[in-house]
Amino acid sequence: MKTRNLIYIVLLPLLFTTCKPVVDDFTPSSGSADFTSFVAIGNSLTAGYAAGALYKSGQEVSFARIIAQQMAYAGGNGQFKIPLMPTEDGVGIAEVTETGMVLRTKLVLGYSKDCLGETSLGPVPANPDPDQQKLFTELTTSVAAQGPFNNVAVPGIKVTHLFAPGLGMMNPFYGRFATDPVNDRLIDEPAKVNPTFFSFWIGNNDVLDYAASGGLLPLTPVDGGIGTGFQASYEAALEIIMKVVSKGIVANIPDVTSIPFFTTVPYNAIVLTNQDDVDLLNQAYAPYNQLMEVNKLPYRINWELGPNPMVIWDKDMPLPQPFAQYKFRQAKEGELILLTVPQDSLKCARWGTAKPIPDVYSLTETEIGNIKTATDQFNAIIKENADANGLAFIDVNALLNKLKSQGIMQDGVFFTAAFVTGNFFSEDGIHMSPQGNAMVANFFIQAINTKYNANIPQVSVTDYSPLILP
Amino acid sequence: MKKIIFFLGAVFLATTVMAGGYQVRLQGNKQTGFGLVGTPMVYGASSNFYNPGSLSFMKKKWDFDLGASFILSSVAFQKSESNYQAESDNPVSTPFYFYGAFKINKLITVGLGVYTPYGSSAVWNDDWAGRLLIQNISLSAIFIQPTISFNINDKLGIGAGFVYAIGNISLRKALNYSGDSYVDLEGKASNIGFNVGLYWQALDNLSFGIDYRSAIKMSVTDGDATFSIPTALQGTLPPSNKFDAELPLPANLDFGVAFNATDKLTFALEVDWVMWSAYDTLSFKFKEKGELLNSDNPRLYKDTFIPRLGIEYKVSDLIHVRGGFYYDPTPTNADYFSPETVSLNNIAYTLGLSIMPVEGLSIDISWLQLFGQKADKNYSPDNFGGTYKNTAIVPGLGISYSF
Repeated sequence: MKTRNLIYIVLLPLLFTTCKPVVDDFTPSSGSADFTSFVAIGNSLTAGYAAGALYKSGQEVSFARIIAQQMAYAGGNGQFKIPLMPTEDGVGIAEVTETGMVLRTKLVLGYSKDCLGETSLGPVPANPDPDQQKLFTELTTSVAAQGPFNNVAVPGIKVTHLFAPGLGMMNPFYGRFATDPVNDRLIDEPAKVNPTFFSFWIGNNDVLDYAASGGLLPLTPVDGGIGTGFQASYEAALEIIMKVVSKGIVANIPDVTSIPFFTTVPYNAIVLTNQDDVDLLNQAYAPYNQLMEVNKLPYRINWELGPNPMVIWDKDMPLPQPFAQYKFRQAKEGELILLTVPQDSLKCARWGTAKPIPDVYSLTETEIGNIKTATDQFNAIIKENADANGLAFIDVNALLNKLKSQGIMQDGVFFTAAFVTGNFFSEDGIHMSPQGNAMVANFFIQAINTKYNANIPQVSVTDYSPLILP
Repeated sequence: MKKIIFFLGAVFLATTVMAGGYQVRLQGNKQTGFGLVGTPMVYGASSNFYNPGSLSFMKKKWDFDLGASFILSSVAFQKSESNYQAESDNPVSTPFYFYGAFKINKLITVGLGVYTPYGSSAVWNDDWAGRLLIQNISLSAIFIQPTISFNINDKLGIGAGFVYAIGNISLRKALNYSGDSYVDLEGKASNIGFNVGLYWQALDNLSFGIDYRSAIKMSVTDGDATFSIPTALQGTLPPSNKFDAELPLPANLDFGVAFNATDKLTFALEVDWVMWSAYDTLSFKFKEKGELLNSDNPRLYKDTFIPRLGIEYKVSDLIHVRGGFYYDPTPTNADYFSPETVSLNNIAYTLGLSIMPVEGLSIDISWLQLFGQKADKNYSPDNFGGTYKNTAIVPGLGISYSF
């Protein structure tokens, strides 16, 4: 009898041990906000444009979509309608070339052969020779019937475009989801989903258009009326949004000169290894140096063995009118060459040495100064408006600076502002990668949680794809 | 005999984290049921491990002890600031032991132990959020220890064992490249150490034991590193590479006291000092592309002290029952806590039963249940953290025979 009791005692634990450990300590909450219906307003960054195109799976991992998915745990209705593109190759913003407008697919990492016959890994078009008609159809086929949409971000737009009736006729990325592309204004889109919360991240293109054109296209001026000046347009936009929805988050704009599109090609990429080449170039530029000396201008072009600064066109050089054709000089340290500079022209057509690099591919000191000034001014306006409207605010500029200066680690993924290896940017060096979008989504969520005392769960960046390597 | 071979074959598996860090003290089923207290006890041949000093106090001329434990464990995880949950799916692991001892004369007893005092295994889902830190890992070590023990007088025994340790490590970490990239690291190591103990029968009903087991550095040389990565990277990172790494198996100093309250009832207390501070950094050095691949991964473990309590009641000559309890604090650093070794503050109770159907034969059954205390931990170099909790149940079975 005694023995049997003991056996029971020994076996007793079996009864309550099969339960496995569980940790479930996270309680989602909307705090003082209401995430029932979320609307995202912005440009290509919010739209999920990446790798040089708007494409389906890119749109599906936009930071805005990720936030919406996470909001669903904290009261969101789980509905986040996106004007999805029909394909994975997508369509990029039209490029103007000598022969007219060209539409391109997204970029992928792949191999290409340069003019010297050397193969290298880099961004190449997913479809190198796409059917233009097909891309045009994909870009312009209306999906308005599937609306209204929660992601009303439109690639390419500036803050001043928000009020333009007929924007849909000029910008097919809006035209394809606008109910009436001829008359609708983008700023009226958010109201259509009866939003309870919004994100508003705009202003990037007001600087980027200037920067990505090497300073040829204009910066949006601070002053001027609605649709012209940054300040009036930004204020008016928020005013209209706030009439519909009183809680949301706004983001400022990063200093675009920190992004890989501008930082990947070094200013001194001309490496001379042969003294004859050095001598020839110095001879060729001797008249230029003489001219500068005569005109008492500080510019000189000198060549030596090793890395040399590229020769760039600089429209802002203060040369007297008769010498306008000499407005070129060697780039200075800190000046930027754009990622789009044709590599074959550098390697085989003597760009940067015998031929100055066209202005459209470089940012000079002056242009960089203009960009920084505009960025600071726009960001001051954004912050002021965020505070005045009592909105959550995310300092994307600080985030990018941190990426550039020290990098940000999340879940074992090390994000930096470097091209491809930095994980943050996509194949175009401008827009975020899927993991970059996840990281940005987490920063937005943190800012929303802090401001509204909410508890939206963050995502694991490892749930999103790294850049696809061949 | 065939059965025994099968048994040994089945146990060449990793053992799951059981004690703090990657130590496993399940080296005798009598001791396991007794709160894993062994130092102040005379438990026959298993004293090879627990205290070579008490080995010479065994009563018969020959003593053999063979057994294993079956660790069923799992870890639950919730990522910080997130509702993301994961659970490790750990394989059943089976630390085992075999001991033999022979009393040459009243003074000298010799013994041999083969046991598995260190090991760890964790298997996380391939797509889990921490896969860039660890996907799965298995550490195992087998110690082979010849021992000599001297019965100085009726009261005092001292003993020493030479330890030859062989170990295996294999782990898989995902890499942040497309196409489910990962690296497999596999290596073997061996080294030597020692185990010395002293046993003092102070009074008829009071005994003390002290045991020191040396630290052993397990150095993997030319382990195999296999990188499964996109073709584009294979020029930069050779798919097949070799690596060196070093993992310390920490020293232990155990001190125990046992008191026989009555002829039938024994209480024992033990404190184990585990010198985990030896585990400072886990470094990997690669033969090729070391400039890209070498890594120093801080672990910053600290020493721990484990208090243990054991109670034994001799119901009859046929049956002894045991119980025990211990608290095993984590040696890990809260900011350098890697999911490869989920070691929390553990509270455990144990139960044991020995059945002695015939003279000299003992069938030893043990039961251990462990509750890892929920805690927030972070691996700051990778900025990956969350709340961890673990549990384990460990049934064990052993058989000993003396004659």
